Amino acid sequence: MSSHDLTVFGYLLFLLAGVVLELLARRTRLRIPSLAAVLARAMRTRTGRVGVLVAWAWLGLHFFAG
Amino acid sequence: MDGSSPPRWIVALGSTATAGVREPIVVILLLIAVFTAISGRPVNGLLLAVVAVCLAWDNARSRRRVVIPAPDAAAGLTTAQPREPLIAARRRRPAAVAAVAAAGLVFAAVAGSFARYSWPATVSVIGLAAAMVVTGWRGPSRSRRDPGELPRRGTALWAGLLVAAGLWELSALFLQPGLDTTSSAHPTISALTDPLLTSHAGRSGALAVWIAAGCFLVRR
Repeated sequence: MSSHDLTVFGYLLFLLAGVVLELLARRTRLRIPSLAAVLARAMRTRTGRVGVLVAWAWLGLHFFAG
Repeated sequence: MDGSSPPRWIVALGSTATAGVREPIVVILLLIAVFTAISGRPVNGLLLAVVAVCLAWDNARSRRRVVIPAPDAAAGLTTAQPREPLIAARRRRPAAVAAVAAAGLVFAAVAGSFARYSWPATVSVIGLAAAMVVTGWRGPSRSRRDPGELPRRGTALWAGLLVAAGLWELSALFLQPGLDTTSSAHPTISALTDPLLTSHAGRSGALAVWIAAGCFLVRR
């Protein structure tokens, strides 16, 4: 396995882990909150809301704005 | 010492700086702003810095507002109340939701036709991002239940996943020949998505997903 494949495999593994966590949160009785619940909790205050929204905005700026 | 109090703008500046230092998100935003600016995106860095300063100022203002005189105020003591969580919301009708979705798709189609990092793409994306942050600043756009306390271990799993993924991306970034030179051996997410974003359809699709995510967050 080349270092390119290993790096891509790592990204896919994190993506898969996120999907598994979300499924565990929604389909089982395990005490794992869904991603939406975590975001809602983080966004209860104005600072948290703006922080999360700026992280989202940064993605758009990073990929499209020079 | 003549006993006179300092000018109001100095007091405001001092309370803004203090409130900013107390908020980890403000500090994180300022750090990201610095690194974004020195990596060749000064406009993006400036925008992040402006948001960080506005947040610090808003926090300082909130703190001044919630400091109320206590019974022992005569002794120079005050009592600070916790800030209200932003769970009150504005209602949105289905027709408005459909209109926003249509506008988002049109925006993605038009903005996706511009080359990446060109000035029309930059103006479009910065304009939309700023509008969404300002909208989100006012509070959630729909009513929702307060999630309350979350299970700590389950929340820690999400946090751990986010940090680990960030470190993985960061290691790929530092294993490149240079910060702005991509590497096939250690590709960052940006490098992996470059082929997708070279076409109009790819850019429009990515913008549509980005806009949908923004709308989801504004409604949280």
